[in-house]
Amino acid sequence: MANDTLLEVKNLKMYFPVTSGLFMQRRVADIKAVDDVSFDIKKGETLGLVGESGCGKTTVGKCILQLHRATAGEVKFEGTDLCKLSNKDLRPLRQKLQVIFQDPQDSLDPRFTAADIIGEPLKIQGLTRGREYRERVSEVLNIVGLAPYMADRYPHEFSGGQRQRLGIARALALRPRLIICDEPISALDVSIQAQIVNLLDDLQHEFGLAYLFISHDLSMVRHISDRVAVMYLGKLVEVSDRDELYKKPLHPYTQALLSAVPIPDPAVEAKRLVIVLKGEVPSPINPPSGCVFHPRCPKRFDLCSAFIPPLIDLGGGHHVACLLYSPKQ
Amino acid sequence: MSTLLEVKNLSTYFYTQDGVVKAVQDVSYEVAKGETIALVGESGCGKTVSALSIVRLIAEPPGKIVSGQVMFDGTDLLKLPQDDIREVRGAKISMIFQEPMTSLNPVLTIGRQLTEALELHQRMNKKEALKEAIRLLKLVGIPHGERRIKDYPHHFSGGMRQRVMMAMAISCQPQLIIADEPTTAVDVTIQAQLLQMIREITDRLGTSVILITHNLGIVARYASRVYVMYAGRIVEHGPAAAIYHNPRHPYTVGLLASVPRLDEARKMRLEPIKGQPPDLIAPPVGCAFCPRCSQADSQCQTNGHQLVEVEPGHFTACGVVCKEARYG
Repeated sequence: MANDTLLEVKNLKMYFPVTSGLFMQRRVADIKAVDDVSFDIKKGETLGLVGESGCGKTTVGKCILQLHRATAGEVKFEGTDLCKLSNKDLRPLRQKLQVIFQDPQDSLDPRFTAADIIGEPLKIQGLTRGREYRERVSEVLNIVGLAPYMADRYPHEFSGGQRQRLGIARALALRPRLIICDEPISALDVSIQAQIVNLLDDLQHEFGLAYLFISHDLSMVRHISDRVAVMYLGKLVEVSDRDELYKKPLHPYTQALLSAVPIPDPAVEAKRLVIVLKGEVPSPINPPSGCVFHPRCPKRFDLCSAFIPPLIDLGGGHHVACLLYSPKQ
Repeated sequence: MSTLLEVKNLSTYFYTQDGVVKAVQDVSYEVAKGETIALVGESGCGKTVSALSIVRLIAEPPGKIVSGQVMFDGTDLLKLPQDDIREVRGAKISMIFQEPMTSLNPVLTIGRQLTEALELHQRMNKKEALKEAIRLLKLVGIPHGERRIKDYPHHFSGGMRQRVMMAMAISCQPQLIIADEPTTAVDVTIQAQLLQMIREITDRLGTSVILITHNLGIVARYASRVYVMYAGRIVEHGPAAAIYHNPRHPYTVGLLASVPRLDEARKMRLEPIKGQPPDLIAPPVGCAFCPRCSQADSQCQTNGHQLVEVEPGHFTACGVVCKEARYG
């Protein structure tokens, strides 16, 4: 089983310093954006990472890509710990690790043509030249469903959905193994979202890609993921097989999150009981003691504010960080 | 229920360098007293413009309300002089916008922004207005109102700002609230809090609500009647149950099929609507949805379609679904 693992994240921590003072920048606190997060992704698998804004899910993605250098922990990709590599040594590995961003409007250079955007990574990696280069560019355009004659267009000449296809094409150009998809559909219209999700699905089957699919849309995550990890305030609260998680969510936060998703059917909605959480997500500078979710938790009891619940294995790959559950012996 | 607002054949165009954008074309809808209706559609379909046109918040130029009537409590708002429409805005019809950080004034305290409307419309003095502002903050679930009225918008979180917007919207006890994507910028757990609060307060005060959103789930939870917009026109409308359980227009059918549902078995593949929304400067001749429609026939390319009643209260503008709907 072990050599099935493509990516292994172990005890990842990313703290951002909060400084104070005009001349002497003193470090007065830390924003614990990611605090002791561990998970793995297998070859060809999709792991969904869900949570509310500010919970650290994008930071996890950036730490994997080494766009943030983690404060502590390991990011092992095909057995190599990326955190220990220098930028120079990382470069050849970046071929295998690519990213798709949320807003294609902001993540594509407006002065580059589609061909330049897709070709840039090929040039940087020094992979192809001349005719081969042009052939690869039109091949990738074709794969994502854009016509080769669009190669000379600029990003503003594409629609939102097409721009996201371009973002996907750029990620695909280097034939990666893992793509971090950071909210790839949230900026798109409902009728276009399904097109992009289907495209990601097709590409996964064709090229054996693994995805880390970061999103706050729980219905889409269920559709695309094999396993799902739920994050809250920098910590993983539940990791499980997709069907298991949606059928039997264990952590009170996951339960509330799922019940808050409105279902497009008035008859179903009229009968549904929605768990409305009180209050808001606390600040990661000064997180609550014990379980970070306890101030909002409808099922909290006195121990919750004193003990930090570890992520325990309940068997069958279902992990939860909550004092209500005890590990399976 | 008596009708509070009736929009009749409203058309709003924008005159740009590239041509005339027909953002809203021949749109009619009505809102009864105490009712919540929803305008649903994708970005650029004209749902916001059609609602902004009610209170004439269309920048002129480039925009222009070219035709139509907006009957509110017996008067046509489109014919009112400027001074009188200002009496309506905020007092009788108020709005909640999507992004509270851009719709609240960053250099004024929350207290000042709340009391402004109270002093203007309710003719309160400063002291009364301040007291009322604190009461309103409590009503929308912001504790320590006495202290928080001195805070600026950036002191509040996204969800809290949207609560402040809600407090402003209800401050003059309006008869109608236009909520334009009120929860799109916030998280799903905060969304549940806010929508529940909006419903509780409007139920208690008997306020009508026009809910503008692209989220079909929210509509199912909160609206009694639904208007589906596509490319500036209403393509289907009716009671929420009819729209969700018996959608007739291929666009509505496609939209509902394209979103995965948590309460249903997971599908192997999503069913997207092919293609993309049309350019409103040069929309397709005939039915605007025709290029993306799987049921379209040759007549759809040349003929537009009228809304036809397919079952009591349920109207659809599709010539294939209702043959008698063809004209032109």
